[in-house]
Amino acid sequence: MWIELGHFSAILALVLAVIQTGTAFVGGTLDRPVWVRVSRQAALVGSGFLTLAMLGLQISFLTHDFSVQYVAGHASLDLPFFYLATALWGGHEGSLLLWGWLLSVFGTIAVFSYWRSQSASIPWVLVVFGCLVISFLCLVLFLSSPFDRLIPPPMDGRDLNPLLQDPGMVFHPPFLYMGYVGFAVPYAFAISALIRGRLDDQWIRATRRWSLFAWAMLTVGIVFGANWAYYELGWGGYWAWDPVENASFMPWLTATAFLHSVMVQERSGQFRIWNLMLIITTFALSLLGTFLVRSGVLSSVHAFANDPGRGVYILGFMSVLLLVSFGLLTLRGDALKSENRLDGVVSREVAFLFNNLFFMVAMLTVLLGTLYPLAVETFSNAKVTVGAPYYNKVFLPIMFGILLLMGIGAVIPWRRASAQRMIKLFRLPLIIGFLALPLSWYWGVDHPYGIGALFLILFVITSHGGEIIRSVRARVRKDRLSPLTAFVRLISRNRRRYGGFVVHAGLLVMVAGFIGSGLFQEEQNLVMKPGETVRIGAWTLTLDKIHTVARENWEATEAVMHAQGRGEILTLRPQKRVYNEHSMPTTEASIHTTIREDLYVILGDAVGDGWHIRVFRNPLVVWVWIGALIMGLGVLIAFFEKRIVVARKTVREAS
Amino acid sequence: MSSWKLAIMGVVLGIIALFAMGLQNDPRDIPTPLISKPASDFSEPSLKGDATITLTDYRGKWVLLNFWGSWCISCVAEHPYLIQLADQVKDRDDFLIIGVDFKDTREGAFRFLQRHGDPGYQHLFDPKQRVAIDWGVYGAPESFLIDPTGIIRLKHTGPLYPGWFEKVALPLIDGGAVQ
Repeated sequence: MWIELGHFSAILALVLAVIQTGTAFVGGTLDRPVWVRVSRQAALVGSGFLTLAMLGLQISFLTHDFSVQYVAGHASLDLPFFYLATALWGGHEGSLLLWGWLLSVFGTIAVFSYWRSQSASIPWVLVVFGCLVISFLCLVLFLSSPFDRLIPPPMDGRDLNPLLQDPGMVFHPPFLYMGYVGFAVPYAFAISALIRGRLDDQWIRATRRWSLFAWAMLTVGIVFGANWAYYELGWGGYWAWDPVENASFMPWLTATAFLHSVMVQERSGQFRIWNLMLIITTFALSLLGTFLVRSGVLSSVHAFANDPGRGVYILGFMSVLLLVSFGLLTLRGDALKSENRLDGVVSREVAFLFNNLFFMVAMLTVLLGTLYPLAVETFSNAKVTVGAPYYNKVFLPIMFGILLLMGIGAVIPWRRASAQRMIKLFRLPLIIGFLALPLSWYWGVDHPYGIGALFLILFVITSHGGEIIRSVRARVRKDRLSPLTAFVRLISRNRRRYGGFVVHAGLLVMVAGFIGSGLFQEEQNLVMKPGETVRIGAWTLTLDKIHTVARENWEATEAVMHAQGRGEILTLRPQKRVYNEHSMPTTEASIHTTIREDLYVILGDAVGDGWHIRVFRNPLVVWVWIGALIMGLGVLIAFFEKRIVVARKTVREAS
Repeated sequence: MSSWKLAIMGVVLGIIALFAMGLQNDPRDIPTPLISKPASDFSEPSLKGDATITLTDYRGKWVLLNFWGSWCISCVAEHPYLIQLADQVKDRDDFLIIGVDFKDTREGAFRFLQRHGDPGYQHLFDPKQRVAIDWGVYGAPESFLIDPTGIIRLKHTGPLYPGWFEKVALPLIDGGAVQ
């Protein structure tokens, strides 16, 4: 019953999306506000119906309605409630519905919130969102419907893929999708600006918060994915440069470039075409991510759904989107020429230009590594994979370049910086940076990348810190405030800028984590019998026994081990779990986390009368997760910038 | 058109074309490194249990080694062609087919042959997949073509199809064995 309600709601939403597109198109071209209003109402009611569709499917899950094929395929009676309630996006069909729903809801929110302030853009935004929603709903309804019945219904479902029964994987898809779909809003405004041929940068100011929101969601989504890989996949790492991971990382890179380069456009009107290209590329890459995961065009470690039929459809959809977007851009390119040229060689504009180039090169590097196997297979019929060695070689230098620019770009003045100013700004950061050499020696870091990263981290911290101290001092002198009040006022009056600083700090913490765990991981791979010991780092691990344990929907072979070191004794319990409905065992790594390092133990197969055990010492992994939290906090601060319009006006008048 | 426009549209069209072609690839089709390598020998009991089949006994003939199991759905689809092919080549003295029934039980295999027809050639019985693992088989059905000198010349993943022998195997056979 509920599923039919959902199904019909989705069909009605499709019809409404068609109405939305048609009326907005007429309203936009013939300038008929009434038609646009009808379109807006259609968008609102349409997202209401899609919400009903989601509810219909959700209720089918919660009531264990196994006569629904999708529910039978992704849930079972034993599935714990938490996973039952989130199994909706555990498969292909449901996650596409989630995409479509988010698209529709975001579109409606954007249209209503910019109804007055951006009224000229609204018709085209409605058209873009209408087309996107139609495309996704056609895919959901005709090619991968989660609403199909299964007659006769089975007694029990096939259960959710055990690998997905993990908190990281519960949150990973929705956040990632909120990021992907969030970029649809600035994308729609950009397309609208292109269609109307408007020269100003209204669309950028209007959608600043959306871009920030989408970027934050994408960041969080990627980190949840990495977290899931680390805790659930059990291979000792969190990032494998897998095509699907790359697919989510590429839009992140272009979006980060976008967030920086829009500041230049807001300030002086430069980089106009560039910004349009960045946002179109970002959204196109978001779709590419979906395409890569869902079409089976690339083989990936976690290819959860392979279906060339859908692949053809998504390819067609993407081709139209790419050709229309970039076609519009090249068509209108000349009309949007920037009127200003860069003033000086040394300025924040130039630093941001290089920042953008580095991010683009980084994205192209990842794109090349992701598509190269596909190209080789297409033209020579051989299978190759591009793995971590390629990316580590190419990507680390780029990352170092970005970090260096981060230290410079955040504090260097706009327009033109004199030599004395540069010396004043960067003398201390450079000196502190070179403390990396004695510190590396003291900590026993001998890898050049390790020393380089330490240098950059110190450099960036000092340059950012120096900037804050200078600004606080100026306020203390001018307004006669206590340093603390001055500091609080400084931050709260410039939330966007100092939120950005916090994001930078979070990234530094993450980089420390990347370098620590990437370069200094230790591994022991051996067969152990009960009573035997293994040493890794400062720890001595002893295998005490192997036994069987069981929970509501799984049974596991568990090794009980104790680890001794750093004045502590810990118990570790790595498992090999077999979930009831599945024959494939999953690996449950046992992880002991400290701020300094993670102890990561995996239980393998029985070998003779011993057991195969892998032990990792992963230094600083927790810094990756902490860094991500700090980045999230920074975005939150930047998100609540109050004086966007006012600040903008004063800048205009000044320039 | 200025150069940056051409560059953008070129990249966009290139990526679309690459994906369009990439969709034709089967992600499950992994090329085997065994092509042009000497076949790994085996000497295993036959399915009926009345003989031992040794690969080296068939030197001087082309051997089509077909991995299958009664649990495999695609093997049912492939089976009529194997029956036809066996009939077609029964008079050739330079070509024969050997089946490898792997990861299976004898009862299951007999039931399969009873239901879908017996092509008449010999089968190896490989319940523990010893041969299948040696040959790098990761699915069923998979077939290998071994030339008279014992070199693996071809691997086919998935069901063989009507016309396969004429289209793929005969040119190789007529072209001769690797010396």
